[in-house]
Amino acid sequence: MTRVIPFVAFLLLYVSAFGAEPVSVQLNSASVAPREMEDNTEKAVLRDYTRAWQSLATALSGNNSSALANDFIGQAQDELQQRVSEQQKTGLHTRYIDHGHNLQAVFYSQDGSAMQLRDTARLEVQLLDGDKVIHSDQITQNYLVVMTTGENRWRVRVLQPLPTK
Amino acid sequence: MLRLIQFAFLLAALLFAARVADAAELRVPTDAIAGAEVSIPTTGSGDATFYLFGPGAAIKRSVKLGEDIRLTGNDLQFSGRYTAALSNGESGVFFVAPSKPADVAFLARPSRVPASTRQVISGTAFVFDSNHNLVTQPTAVDFNLGVSQGRPETRTVNTKDGVAYVILDSGRQAGAAQFTASLNDDNVRRVVQVTASDPCNLRMRAQPAKNGILVETDPIRDCAGNPVPDGTIVTFTEVDNSGRSTVDARIKKGVAQAQLPQSDSAQLSVAAGVVVGNEIHWSGR
Repeated sequence: MTRVIPFVAFLLLYVSAFGAEPVSVQLNSASVAPREMEDNTEKAVLRDYTRAWQSLATALSGNNSSALANDFIGQAQDELQQRVSEQQKTGLHTRYIDHGHNLQAVFYSQDGSAMQLRDTARLEVQLLDGDKVIHSDQITQNYLVVMTTGENRWRVRVLQPLPTK
Repeated sequence: MLRLIQFAFLLAALLFAARVADAAELRVPTDAIAGAEVSIPTTGSGDATFYLFGPGAAIKRSVKLGEDIRLTGNDLQFSGRYTAALSNGESGVFFVAPSKPADVAFLARPSRVPASTRQVISGTAFVFDSNHNLVTQPTAVDFNLGVSQGRPETRTVNTKDGVAYVILDSGRQAGAAQFTASLNDDNVRRVVQVTASDPCNLRMRAQPAKNGILVETDPIRDCAGNPVPDGTIVTFTEVDNSGRSTVDARIKKGVAQAQLPQSDSAQLSVAAGVVVGNEIHWSGR
């Protein structure tokens, strides 16, 4: 028992510190075009997008870009790696507390290799200098997302925040 | 006593005025464009630490309150939501919009298609600015598909949230089709190999051979006259009193040939895929 408690405490600390909390993601593909989304593809997108946000939170909280390689590619990966690198240089961190995502699939390419989605994410974002919280926001943020297939998974290629209308 | 109270009020008013005068404020931009420099005016006096968090950016620097904070195009190269903050707690959020369209990424599938087939070639274009931000403003993309000496098929499609796509028929003529997506002066080219479609008017002839019947097709072409590629399987069948014999032969130099078993009376037929050719009643010669 005395060994279990520190282990559980470590896990809680890890989860809290690195933002690897479970992320709730819902996907609506009713209006996707030009190709309908298969059930298996929906499941895969949900799984991979959820994991991408966990990786993003882990990377920006712990300033560790190695968490990004499996789930991001191209522009999204470059941008996040640059953010992590800048945070490392300046001693800054970003903590995401993720309250869930509503994904709407809008485009799924005829050949099944690329898709575009809109995400409405509910997030608490804490910006930290060392341990000091500089700024904290509860936001509902819309994202334009492009995901492409490769190596048996969907990777996020574009994750572009959109202005709130 | 009254004088003491008046003095206390005066002191409080002076302190309040001094605080208001020193209060720092950030005036974040309302129309920032990715890759373009911006200035953030501040009010107040003294030193402070300025923070900027955004896509690809995590900046921390010392600033003098009352002066403008200059952000370079490199600081704001990615489109999205930025938070600017001062160490005294003042903060502001602003959005950086993508700049003008400059680059197109083009996915074309498949790389090989049969001729004269409907809705078989798809092209998807993603439009980016010079910093690789997806351009969300509608932008016209020209798609062009054609083989040399053939009439190209051209479509202009406006992007929606940075994406434009077309689904096209393959042309009648076999060959390497050039499939391009164009945005202003930027052309991205892919090659789609158009192969002959199913054979058309498949015909064979038969003649006696040393130990059987030699069957050979005429040159095999699709309905548009494109030669069906060598290696395509053609099936010859012979039915007589002793039963059925079948030989699969590959097209070689445009024709297929095979040797069927000897027979004095047989029905010979030829087929390639779903296409059935002519039949010959063989009576020994």
